[in-house]
Amino acid sequence: MNKKCREIESLLSAYLENDLPKEELESVSEHLQGCSVCLDKKEKMEEIILRLSELQEEVPFFLKNRLLNIPEMIEKTKPVKLLYFPKWLAAAIGTIILFLNLFYFTNIFPPVHREVHSVVSSIEKIFVKTGGWFEKIKESKELLFFTFFNRKSVEVKENKVSQNLANEKDFVKGGRNG
Amino acid sequence: METAEILARCKNGDQEAWNMMINSYSKSVYNIALNFFAERDIAQDVTQEIFIKIYHNLDKFREEKNFSSWIFTISRNYCIDYWRKNKKYFAHTQELDEKISVGKPTPEENLINESEIDQLRKMISRLDPDLRLILILRDIQDLSYQEIAKKFSVPEGTVKSRINRARLKLAQAFMREGI
Repeated sequence: MNKKCREIESLLSAYLENDLPKEELESVSEHLQGCSVCLDKKEKMEEIILRLSELQEEVPFFLKNRLLNIPEMIEKTKPVKLLYFPKWLAAAIGTIILFLNLFYFTNIFPPVHREVHSVVSSIEKIFVKTGGWFEKIKESKELLFFTFFNRKSVEVKENKVSQNLANEKDFVKGGRNG
Repeated sequence: METAEILARCKNGDQEAWNMMINSYSKSVYNIALNFFAERDIAQDVTQEIFIKIYHNLDKFREEKNFSSWIFTISRNYCIDYWRKNKKYFAHTQELDEKISVGKPTPEENLINESEIDQLRKMISRLDPDLRLILILRDIQDLSYQEIAKKFSVPEGTVKSRINRARLKLAQAFMREGI
C-alpha cells in the first residue's frame, strides 16, 4: 500500500459522509477511479455502514419486565431487621461476660480472682451447711415417725421376745426336774 | 414530564416515574450491551445490572449534568469492566488487525448457520472496546459526532478518526473473510 492509499483510507469516512472540502473530495474521487484496492474498501465500508444501521433491536419483553421490577426487587432483597436489638448493647453484654470469665477462670487479675473465689466458696459452704441441716431434719423426722407410729409394733415384738424367753426358761427347768 | 421531575420521583420510589425512565433509556442501553458483547444472554444480564446500578446511584446524579450522558457513562464503564473481568471467556474476541485472521468458521459454527447480523456483531465485538462503543453510538444509534465527543470528553476530530479506523478495520476483516 503506497502513501497515497494510506492517505485516502484516512479520508474514506469523511468522503462517504460528504464531509470533505471540494478539493479533497475531487482528489479522493480521482484516486478511487484508478485504485481498485481503495475502491473495494470504500464499497465495503459503505455496505457495512448500511448494515450497521440494522443492528438496532427492541428490548426483549422479559428483559423489560425485569427492568421495570428493579425497584420492587431491590426493596424485597433489602435485609429485614427481625428484632430491634442495638448492636452496642449486644457488644456490652458480650464484653461483660468475657470479663467475668477472665476474673474467674484465669489468673490475670489475682486479687479480684481471690475475692470472687472466696465469694463462690462461701456460697458453696452455705449450700453444704443447709444440706447438712436438711439431712438432720430428715433423720429426726424418721426418728419421730419411728417413735410415734411404730411404738405398738415394737411393744408387741418386745412381748413376744419376753414370752419366748420365759418359755425357754420353763423348758430348761422341766428338763432338769424330769 | 421533564427528566428532572422523573428523577426526583424515581428517588422517592415512584414506580410510574421508573417505568418512564425504562421506556426512554432501556433500548439504548440494551443495544450498547448487545452490540458490545454480541451475545444476547450477556447483554440482557448486563443491561439489568446497569439499571440496578443506575437505581442505586440516582442520588449521586448532579442535575447540571446531562442525564443521558450520565447513563451512557455508567453503561460504558460497566461494559468495559465486565469485559475485562471476563477476558478469558471473551478470549476469542481478539482485536481485529491485519495480522490476526478472524478464522474460517468451524463445522459447529457452520451448523449453527448464524445470520449475517450475528456475524457483523461478532466482528464488532472484536474491536478495541472504545472503538466499539464509538461505532455503536455513531452507526447503530445514529448519534452525531458532536454528541459522541461530549459523551467521551474528546475532540470531535478524534471521534471522526476513530470512527474511520473502526469502519476500516471492519471492512478489511470482511474482505479477508470474503463475506
